[in-house]
Amino acid sequence: MSTATPRQRSTAPDAARVESAVKVYGSSSDTAVRALDGVSVGFPAGRFTAIMGPSGSGKSTLMHCAAGLDTLTSGSAYIGDTELGPLDDRRLTLLRRDRVGFVFQAFNLVPTLTVAENIRLPMDLAGRRFDRDTLEWTDALIDVVGLRDRLCHRPAELSGGQQQRVAVARAFAGRPDVVFADEPTGNLDSRSGEEVLGLLGRAVREMGRTVVMVTHDPVAAAHADEVVFLADGRLVDRMAAPTADKVLDRLKAFDARSATNSEGAPS
Amino acid sequence: MSATGPRDAAGPGSPTGPRGPARPGAPTGSLAAALRISLTSLRGHKRRFAGTFFAVLLGVAFLAGTLVMGDTLRASFDTMFGNATRGTDAVVRGADTITTPGESQGVRRNIDTALVDRIEKVPGVAAAVPAIQGAGQLIGKDGDPIGGQGPPTLAGNWITDTELNAYRLAEGRAPARSGEVVVNRGAAESGDLKIGDTTTLRTPDPVKVTIVGLATFGGEDGMAQTTFTGMTRADAEKYLMPKPGEAATVQVRAGPGTSQQELVDALTPVLPKGVEAITGQEAAEENSDMISGQFLTLFTTFLLVFSGIALLVATFSIHNTFAIVVAQRTRENALLRALGASRRQVTAATLAEASVVAVVASVAGLAGGIGIAAGLQALFPAIGFPFPEGDLVISGTSMLLPLAVGVAVCVASALLPAVRAGRTAPLAALRETAVDHSGASRARAAVGTGIAVAAVALTLVGVLASPSIWLAGGGAVLALAAFVVLGPVASSRAVRILGGPLDRLRGVTGSLARRNALRSPKRTAATASALMIGVAVVCLFTVFGASLKATMDQTVSRSFAGDVAVSTPSFGAGGSGLSPRLAPAVGERPEVATAVGLGRGVAEVNGQGRALTVTDPVALAKSFDLGTVDGSLGDLGDDGIALTRAEADKQHLTVGDKAELAFTDGKKDTFTVRAVYGQSELAGDYVITRDAWAPHRGQDSDTLVAVTFKDGVSAADGKAAVSAVAKEYGNPEVQTRDEYAQSAAGGIDMMLTLVYALLALAVLIALLGIANTLTLAVHERTRELGLLRAVGQTRGQLRAMVRWESVLVAAFGTAGGLALGGFLGWVLVKASDGASDSVFAFALPPTQLAVVALVGLAAGALAGLRPARRAARLDVLRAIAAE
Repeated sequence: MSTATPRQRSTAPDAARVESAVKVYGSSSDTAVRALDGVSVGFPAGRFTAIMGPSGSGKSTLMHCAAGLDTLTSGSAYIGDTELGPLDDRRLTLLRRDRVGFVFQAFNLVPTLTVAENIRLPMDLAGRRFDRDTLEWTDALIDVVGLRDRLCHRPAELSGGQQQRVAVARAFAGRPDVVFADEPTGNLDSRSGEEVLGLLGRAVREMGRTVVMVTHDPVAAAHADEVVFLADGRLVDRMAAPTADKVLDRLKAFDARSATNSEGAPS
Repeated sequence: MSATGPRDAAGPGSPTGPRGPARPGAPTGSLAAALRISLTSLRGHKRRFAGTFFAVLLGVAFLAGTLVMGDTLRASFDTMFGNATRGTDAVVRGADTITTPGESQGVRRNIDTALVDRIEKVPGVAAAVPAIQGAGQLIGKDGDPIGGQGPPTLAGNWITDTELNAYRLAEGRAPARSGEVVVNRGAAESGDLKIGDTTTLRTPDPVKVTIVGLATFGGEDGMAQTTFTGMTRADAEKYLMPKPGEAATVQVRAGPGTSQQELVDALTPVLPKGVEAITGQEAAEENSDMISGQFLTLFTTFLLVFSGIALLVATFSIHNTFAIVVAQRTRENALLRALGASRRQVTAATLAEASVVAVVASVAGLAGGIGIAAGLQALFPAIGFPFPEGDLVISGTSMLLPLAVGVAVCVASALLPAVRAGRTAPLAALRETAVDHSGASRARAAVGTGIAVAAVALTLVGVLASPSIWLAGGGAVLALAAFVVLGPVASSRAVRILGGPLDRLRGVTGSLARRNALRSPKRTAATASALMIGVAVVCLFTVFGASLKATMDQTVSRSFAGDVAVSTPSFGAGGSGLSPRLAPAVGERPEVATAVGLGRGVAEVNGQGRALTVTDPVALAKSFDLGTVDGSLGDLGDDGIALTRAEADKQHLTVGDKAELAFTDGKKDTFTVRAVYGQSELAGDYVITRDAWAPHRGQDSDTLVAVTFKDGVSAADGKAAVSAVAKEYGNPEVQTRDEYAQSAAGGIDMMLTLVYALLALAVLIALLGIANTLTLAVHERTRELGLLRAVGQTRGQLRAMVRWESVLVAAFGTAGGLALGGFLGWVLVKASDGASDSVFAFALPPTQLAVVALVGLAAGALAGLRPARRAARLDVLRAIAAE
């Protein structure tokens, strides 16, 4: 697909990456906040990457900019080989629709559409015709997330965990280059959370998809192949094969450090 | 309004929770708190009330504008007539009038000019002059007649005693020789005539006249749009009176020291029976009343009805806005309740909010209304309608009434939502989102169906079984109520059907639009109801107008057997008719088999005023289908009449019976019924010969000449021959049967255009309502829109989604309006049919109704533009994060 970037440690090509990403909120010099302060990171294809960091570390901003929901003040963001910076709103929208999947913390589903329609939504928006291949793929997805008997239900008739599973199915339905998940378990009890994380993990390991997840929960981060740590808008560490305990220890170290720094950038 | 009030009432710190301050005891305090809450929330959400504000403003402005304009016109006309007739102290005229059904002004007998000598000898009389008045229509420079579309076209003698003449010479001189005339300046201008020009005056015989002077009336260019031609007395007697020595009235001026009443008292004893004297002031008031009392009242009532419709439509929009705002604010209100606000306080807060919007919008509306009146005052003269000068008359009523109506409409519309706000359970604060109550409840369906059944039953009885306009009207009102009650029940199904094609046409965008419109049946129905009422009224008038046209068409094609009709297209009191000599002249042409002229007379038949058709009965039967005739139309002579079967039944007359006819000249004669005929259309209810009418007639004229060609004469040849003759008689219009039917319906189109223009306001308010509801909905769905944008909905798709939702709501309203309007139109036509003798035809004009439907849909798309643009401008990230 894309050429490997030699700078990265991983041998797989990056499904998404940012280079020297800077995001400044506010315009005047005294109110300006640097949410991202020169971050360069790649998210390798076929891998499950978690972004962690304390509140205000810039992890959500990083995800939003990498996914084309927000624009960088300077630096560049790529989905595959496509640089997002020069794209106008329309092209960005089409790129999100065709090449990116999303799972948000809450309110992932359109309440007027059924489960099946929610899953198909990005493809319907694209006006894509469903070939046999796509049909088989979505069919398999529906079985994986275990919602076959709920296809004609409305989101309001589902539990929170079920709704998130539909969101996961929707995110992968179009076989996007990368799926971004923003605190996907933030609103769920631990059992439902486990289920959703398990689904994300299976999608990467069994189906070869790419997931980038923002979380503040070390247990959630432990499902990832790799964790990148952000603090004060900077990339401060990466951890391969994380466990909940290791991640928690690392976070505690940051907490001690950030106590000396001032609270600032929004998350 | 002490500072302790709010503290008592709100009591957020109360440890006893909601119960503690529930009885504030001090109503002023609770109101102050309510007002404070509402003002704060108003400031915070000004945009939400923009739609309400404009709906009230427009309705109130229209209402106030109508009232101010009416008052101003009325005062101006009073002044104008007062000025014009200031020098006339008494008017002597025929005492009795004969009024025929459907006419407001009676016909008065002429008086003998010999009376003038006798009046002049009465002590206290300074001067007395006969005033001759009749119909006379001038032909403009371009060959077209001047005026005639409503206001009268008058001619008379130019009264040389300037104080007794209502007209003043503004330029030129008075007529001195036969053929010289003075015309009012307004008429001269609209006909592009100047002093020295020679033109034709139809009296109705064409008279060559030369304009020697221009006149004004009460300082204006004319008495509204009435035209006036002043001739020499000899000319006026010759052309306007049946015989010399007659006049319409005698104008009398009092000598010094004699009051108007004293003058009338002195005159009365010398007047013969059947002649009366009234003071000049009374005469002026009668004249002014004729315009302001009848024309203006009709005009303002007409406008008031339409401002009523606009305000009714506004009620729905306003109610909807408050219902949505209250629903959106459920959590806020629940929090207030949890913190100890009483139900009353929450209700009062919402009502206070409505009141503030109402008062501000109504006051703005008053200013707008005065602006409209001032604008019209400036505009009218520019379009050739002399609007008498004078300041705007702004009375207390014309300000207080619209203000009260505006505030009442707004507050009453907000009442239910406010009560609902008060009922918010404190627990609702904890719920995730406000759940919309489903409008499609079984109870609603049952009640609505009940009303609908009652409406149809009442209407059918009122229309078919025992014709009564009241029963039918009651049914119509119930039908409207049924539509409003059933709206939410019907909206789901209707939107599903109407939006069906959207899925296929617009894919997921269309599907989303359709489902958004389905989300809250109650809201969709309320939004659509406003448009529905507007469209229903448009449709009602369209159907009624088309039915009237079809009726005329049917009338002409059923009863007019001739080839061409000659008439002067006129409307209302205008025009001067056709020369009675035209029909004989046309009849002499070789192409023509028969030419029959129909004149109009009035008489009291056994004490009731009736219109008579003055004609040659035998020729009449050749050109018109009179149905079955009992007796013989050839035997009428000068002491016989013929009448329709319906009228004969009403008067209990049959062939051979005697009837007493009293004429305007005071004479009474006994006539014998010689024939009874079946159809009255065009030929009228009574037929009398010219010989019988001649002794009693006034100014002689025909209203229609019906011509039948000889066999073998082509339509074009025949028409050309008739036109050639008509040219010599003031050039009236020669029309084929179809053309005649169409021109008879011409007035209807003019009326419909005016009605459409006035209804545009109601439709505009309905559209503001749709736009407002959508804006509120977009606000409500911020997160959802953000999600859609995040997963790949383009701005264009988002805009289309909102626009299509708007179109769907509009389509539902339009469809409902067409159904309701069609039904009401049918009721109106059938009820009119049952209530009158003439047969009404019912017609649904497919083209016009299709246009109405398209306009409704296009309007929906238009209403969706702004909300769609606002929705598309949403920032994706912020929308996702929105609470």
